[in-house]
This record gives sequence, structure tokens and C-alpha cells, in this order.
Amino acid sequence: METIRTLFSPKAVAWVLVLIAAIAVPPLVGGYVTSMLVLIAIWTIMCFSMNLIFGYTGQLSLGHAAFLGIGAYAFSLITVKLHVGFWPAFFIAIAFTGIIAFLVGIPALKLRGPYFILVTLGFAVIVGVIVLGWIDLTGGANGLFGIPRPNPIPLPGGATLRFDSLLSMYYFILFFVVLIGVFCHRLVHSMIGRRFIAISYNENLTESLGINTMSQKLLSFTISAILAGIAGVLYATYNAVISPELTHFARGMDVVAYLIVGGAGTMAGPIVGTMVLMAVPEVLQVLPYLKTLINGIILMLFILFLPNGIIGWFNANLGRLLKTRRAVHGPA
Amino acid sequence: MLLEGWRDFAGQSEGIATTELGQYLLNGISQGCVYILLASGLTLVLGILNVPNFAQGHLYMVAAYLGFYMVMSYGMSYWLALVLTTFAMGVLGQVIYGLVFYRMRSAPEVNLFVAAMALLMVLEGIALYFFGASTKWFLIPFTRRVITFAGLAIPLQRLIIIVGTLVVMVLLELFIKKTTVGAALEATAQHREGAMLCGIKVTQISAVAFIIGTGLAGIAGMLIGPAVLLEPTMGMGPLLVAFSAIIFGGLGSISGSVLGAFILGLVESLASGYVSAKYSLIFVFGIMILMLLFRPKGLFGREVWRP
Repeated sequence: METIRTLFSPKAVAWVLVLIAAIAVPPLVGGYVTSMLVLIAIWTIMCFSMNLIFGYTGQLSLGHAAFLGIGAYAFSLITVKLHVGFWPAFFIAIAFTGIIAFLVGIPALKLRGPYFILVTLGFAVIVGVIVLGWIDLTGGANGLFGIPRPNPIPLPGGATLRFDSLLSMYYFILFFVVLIGVFCHRLVHSMIGRRFIAISYNENLTESLGINTMSQKLLSFTISAILAGIAGVLYATYNAVISPELTHFARGMDVVAYLIVGGAGTMAGPIVGTMVLMAVPEVLQVLPYLKTLINGIILMLFILFLPNGIIGWFNANLGRLLKTRRAVHGPA
Repeated sequence: MLLEGWRDFAGQSEGIATTELGQYLLNGISQGCVYILLASGLTLVLGILNVPNFAQGHLYMVAAYLGFYMVMSYGMSYWLALVLTTFAMGVLGQVIYGLVFYRMRSAPEVNLFVAAMALLMVLEGIALYFFGASTKWFLIPFTRRVITFAGLAIPLQRLIIIVGTLVVMVLLELFIKKTTVGAALEATAQHREGAMLCGIKVTQISAVAFIIGTGLAGIAGMLIGPAVLLEPTMGMGPLLVAFSAIIFGGLGSISGSVLGAFILGLVESLASGYVSAKYSLIFVFGIMILMLLFRPKGLFGREVWRP
């Protein structure tokens, strides 16, 4: 009985509807909207990554553009220059991102508050300088091109799953969004996730309970960077071209903006925030350089008046909204 | 960019190693002054409002553009533009404090970081919209003059930066140590609640600190602007080095961050002179990370950041 009630709870129904919409809508709309949706899906993965370290563990990192870039560049270099196959390269690239994040996290996570943010920002700037400067390896400002699409996957019954069309790439990336979303949900609701959340509330108190907060933060940071690396690999294989613009620290700030607007520390926040902030400039049809201004203004308004984001506000007021309705319809 | 011109100057003088070293050291001193101006404003705002003002570098950028338009479009004298820009930035600081940080005075710390970041994005967007993405050259003829002294070449603008920084730092020190408002600033930085109990209006003191911070950014923009190329993202590199200087020198100590800024300026200059200008930032951040690993409280810091 309990299971059925959970299965048909409004939240579960909403999630299923969103998933059905995500699967059904792209074939109906044009290629332009689908390509927008692909980018939204990739940045949603980045936002899940940021949500883990910032929303749940409480450590604001502005260096995630670097992990996105490391994942994308590692994958592209392995496939383009060493001709390694798609899947081995995929796992090597994200493992490499994770190792770098682990090594960066050891000194950086010793710090708290603004100092952690600064070190991650400094790391992003260093990675940007290296990507732009090491021309022999990364191609400098020209970037890398000719990055392969995923290999066709043979299906039982003689058919193969090819990834040469835009729509197939969309479903490929959507698969990862769902996978990572479910992974984050399970992680956050496990004992590990509870420790992360405890750290975000009060690190000293958590430490006093006998939890090694440093190792927990390091775990969260590494997982989060691996997710960012996956987003980077997906971007590289989708776009077939990558440029140093990808590692620019401003991309890391954009992700924080998406997360705050959607609602940090909520499951739906990354999706809603990315959708809203990426859709607004498209709907308004503004020039590209106005995006920074619009994102900045929206972020400022949210942090001033709605700091918990759209989903945070919704969660906080859902009970009240329902209650008022019951009060109207209930017995006087 | 900024340092490549310097190498030319070094090349013009006699190519003996001591002159070259002297040239790099001189360059490092003037570069250090750039960071001192930014770092002192940052320390003040960080100490009193608890806000790491990520937008400080962008405020400096806005000031440089303001000065650029005053001098280049309206033909004002450089010194008048310096005074006007500083006042304009002070007013802007008051507006920003009133609109954003006053409202957020009881907000959680992390929201303040995000607000500072949002401010950075807004300022960069405004600069892109009004000033354009292309680089501008803030050309003031008399400051382009190069003075040669004992085999060292120094453009007058660099000399103005060094002297200007000295004057500003002495005035700031006198203000903090000798005036009642300065004493209130120091008290608030040391113990916020204690200062409140003594009858200090902490919100007003916070406004003063923020206005001084933006005013310092205004002076920095006017002093440094003519020595570099203006572009909307020009504030980010100096901001990061200035923050590293604060970490290097130790939290909450203006003298520590001044020394840190000075050392990092020298490191950057020597690294770009002897290794590569492209990678000089890596040396600066490398030193900061080493400092964090082995002495997290910095040179003069009292304790590690504990929120």
C-alpha cells in the first residue's frame, strides 16, 4: 500500500511526466530547438555536478569549468591524437578528471568560506591559461576538431544503434542526464549523502560527531568533478569541436547561477534553473553579449528575494498552498 | 601584454644582467602596487562586511573606463578625472551597498559570495553593452614619457602608480589610526557584536567600508588604466592575484596583504622576465597554493578561516 502511494505521489507523477516530455518533444520540434535542448541537457549535468558539491555539501566551487574542460580535452586528445576507441577514452577521460580533482581537492578543501572559492577560481584560471598556452597539445585558441561520435552499439536482433543524427545524440545525452539524476538521488539519500548534507549545515558539529569531514568533502568534490568531466566528454563528442572558451571560468559562474535560480540542494533545481536561464536569452532573442548581463541581473534578483530558488520556494510554499485550499473546501 | 613592453625597455638599456634584474625588480614593484591598491580595498570589505568582493576587479575596470571617457571624450585633465572618478565610484559603492549588501546584512555567508559574483556578472554585462568588447587604449601623452635613471627605464605612468599607491596607503593608514570613524572601522573588524555594544552603528560603518573599497577601486582604475589596455575582463587577473596576496599575507591584516601583494608582484615580474609572460600567473598561484599547504594562515594571519 505504501509503495503504491509513493509510486503515485504527485512528485513521482511529475517526474514521469517530465521524462515523457523530454523523450516525446524533440522529434516534434525543429532541429534548432533540439540543438538547444542538447545544450540544456549537457549544462544540466554540470548543474547536477555543482549541486552535489555546493547544494548538498555546501562548498561553493567556481572551478567546475576547469573540470568540464579537462574532461573534454582529455577525451578529445585521446581519441583524436591516440586514436583510442570511444568507450575506453570516455572512461580514461573521466578517471583523469577525477584524479585531478582529488589532487586539487587535498589542499583546496582544507580551506573554508571565500578561500575555497578563490582557490577553485584560481585553478580554473590556471587551466584556462594552460589550455590557451600549450598550443602543441591543445591547439591553443583554435581548439581541437574531428572528435568522434560514439561507436554504433549493436542491438539484439541485428539492428544497430547509430549516433550520427542530432536526435540520436539528444537521446544519448538524455540517457546520461537520467542516469546521473538517478545516481545523485540515490547518493543524496544514502548515508554518504546524509554526511554531505550534515557538512553543509555545520562542518564543526559534523566533525564532532566523529565524521571525517575532510574525506567526505574530498569524496563529494571528486564525484562532482567526475560528473563535470562526463558533461565535458558529452559536449566534445556532440560538438566535434572544442575551444578554450569551454574552460573559461565564466562558464563555472554560469553554472552557479543556473543552480541558484533553480534551487540549490533540490533534485529538480538543476533542471529548472538551466532550462529557465538558457531559455530566457533565446526567447528574448538578445545579442550574445547581453547574456552575461541578463544572467547577472536574474541571479542578483534571486539571491536578494528568492535565495532558495524556484524549486526551493515551491517546496517551502507547497504545504501552505495545499493547506489554504483545504481550509477553503474543508468543514467550517 | 602589460609586461611585454617592459622587456623592450629592458632590451634598450645595456644588456648586462644586473640592469636586467633591476628592471624586472622595478617592474615588479610597480606591478605590486597595482595589487596593493586592489588588495587593500578587498581586505577592508572582507574584514567588515565579511564579503569577498569578487566584483572589486570589475569595479576597477568600470573606473578605468569612466576615466577613459572623461579624459579622451570630454578632454578633462588627468588629475581632475582622477578625483571625479574616485567620487563617482564612491557614489556607486553607496548605491551597491544600499541595494544589495544592506538588504543582505543578515543573509547566510554563502549568499553574500553569490551576490558578489552576481555583481561581477552585472558589471561585466554593463561594460560589454556600453563600452564594447574591443580593447581600448587609454592614451595620456605626458604619462607615456619614459624616464631613464641609472640604466633603468621607467614610464612616468608607472612612477605615478608607485607614488600614488604610497600616498593612498599612507592616507588610509592615517584615516584608520587617527580618526573616530577609522577606530570604529577597526573595532567592527575585530568584533562585530562588541562594536555594536559600544554604540557603533555597524550598518553605517559597513557602508563606509564599502564606499572606501569602491573608492580605492576607482583610484586603482585611474592610476593603472593608462598603463594597460582596457577591456571588460581586465579586472579578473589582478583581482585573483590581489586575493592570492591576501591569502599569502594572512586574513584580515592590511599590512600582511600589502606585503603579500608586493611579493606576488615581484614573483610575477621575475617569472615573466626569466620564464615566460604567458605562464607568470601559474607561478603566482603556485606560490599561493604552496603557502596554503604549509602555512594556511598566511604570513601574518591569526587563524585559518572559520565561519
